[in-house]
Amino acid sequence: MKKLQVILNAILSKDIFEYVLVDRASKIAEISDGVAKYMSDDIRIGDDVLSHLPELVGREQELASVFDNRDLSFSFETVYKNGHYVNITIDHYDGDNTLFLFHNITEVVESKRKLLQYSNETTLLYGALQKIIDSQNTLLFVTNDDSIEFANQRFIDYFKAKDMDDIKRKGLRLYHFLDDDLKSYEELYHFTNDDEKHITIEKDTFIMQATLIESMHKLFTLSKVTSLNNAKQNLENEVQLDALTGAYRKKYFDKRVEKELADKNACALAVLDIDDFKRVNDIYGHQVGDQVLQEFTTLIQSELHEDDIFARWGGEEFLILLKGDNTDETMERIEVMRRHIDAFSFATIDHLTASFGVAWYQDDDDSSSLLNRADKALYKAKSSGKNKIIVTPMMSVESVYSL
Amino acid sequence: MIRKKILLIGDFNVGKTSLIRRYVDNAFNDDYLTTIGVKISKKALNIDNREGELLIWDIEGATASKRIPTSYFRGASGAVFVADVSRAESMTHLEEHIESFLSVNPTAEYVIAYNKSDLLSDEEREALHRGDDTFLTSAKDDTDVEILFTTLARGVLR
Repeated sequence: MKKLQVILNAILSKDIFEYVLVDRASKIAEISDGVAKYMSDDIRIGDDVLSHLPELVGREQELASVFDNRDLSFSFETVYKNGHYVNITIDHYDGDNTLFLFHNITEVVESKRKLLQYSNETTLLYGALQKIIDSQNTLLFVTNDDSIEFANQRFIDYFKAKDMDDIKRKGLRLYHFLDDDLKSYEELYHFTNDDEKHITIEKDTFIMQATLIESMHKLFTLSKVTSLNNAKQNLENEVQLDALTGAYRKKYFDKRVEKELADKNACALAVLDIDDFKRVNDIYGHQVGDQVLQEFTTLIQSELHEDDIFARWGGEEFLILLKGDNTDETMERIEVMRRHIDAFSFATIDHLTASFGVAWYQDDDDSSSLLNRADKALYKAKSSGKNKIIVTPMMSVESVYSL
Repeated sequence: MIRKKILLIGDFNVGKTSLIRRYVDNAFNDDYLTTIGVKISKKALNIDNREGELLIWDIEGATASKRIPTSYFRGASGAVFVADVSRAESMTHLEEHIESFLSVNPTAEYVIAYNKSDLLSDEEREALHRGDDTFLTSAKDDTDVEILFTTLARGVLR
């Protein structure tokens, strides 16, 4: 028994454990010497224990039951008391007292607190980074082996997934959207590495880039360019298209013709002129004149093939470059246009006709010489009665297709 | 004098300690210092001519890997559930915290603090749906902190 007392004294002297004995009236009956350091106020024999240990408020019944049952005990863990962290255990001591044992765990808790602080700050940083990544106007995902391990919210939303787990469940294989025969994200990475690849998903075009993260993960970013392309197209259209009719401008038409001629592609150039258009303006006014030009353009455009090039030269004159070397077929198409114009019922003026001058491409032609010959043919069509097609050269003699 | 135990419950870094410091000491510090374990602060009150003392338990916040031990909840008369309005997940976790607390104290009073409201624009503040027991608080700006605690105190000191 004496030895035990020595051991207890040794433990108490290490400043690790302190105790308080409390009687049935919740008064302090006995204290160890060092317990005062855990109390913000002076602690004395006879004090109400609740005034020093507010942790007990609400637990009074449990405290009372410990007096009567030697097997009962309860504890408060990691309680901050006056600059120290302690575990407080309340045990049955004898029928008249309970033992409050204070175990000083400040050193351990401070170490744990630093770790917890670091962990929580890391979690907050991760959350902030996640928000930044989600706010980027790019779709972003990270792969490991052949699966997507992480994706930002834009990526998840774009592929109509609920969350990251949903993306994994769906087993999305993005390389399937490329024409090239790729079979894994590893192949996609090597395909994309150090370069920008265009990838089309449904109606959207993206620029894709890939970066290696450590040795296992690969980061892919997809920047949507569809809207940029649309904006660029709108800008180009503004420059290239005639504001009134929507047909190409002459300048753009010339560029396209030069390219066709440089490539030695067989083609015919038709110059169209609306017959007696001056009378339309004189009789109905320029607003109706403009309306006629728009109706005329729509009518011609409905007759065009995809690779035809159609432009307004100026006033009531238009140009069509028709590709191909089948003269009969081409001339038939032009004749159909002439007939349709002749038969068309225009909104205000009802009827009008047009004359056509057509020139076939020759080896030494440039756009200027080709246009010059077509224009001369048009002049002949006009001066020989209008509403007709004059072609040059066709054999050795100019042909008249329709009168 | 009536003494009642109340707790502040919520995810980590939602501002539980700051709300208590503002309410008890009328002070605020922007630095984030993680709470570990439990620390009790006292606040004497006189509500409707009734003397009382709130024993306010500041307990460590829940993290993804560690829930709040329900042993802390025993003997509590009320709770303030705290969320950070700038962290959506802390708002969604509120329901879980309330459920856990009421499983131990089914008849306890509680209020909810949507804290860090100083981070919201006027439009965002208006758009935030909240019930009668919910307060848009800011320990930093001292917005609605007093009424938050007083409302709960009126309930628990009744």
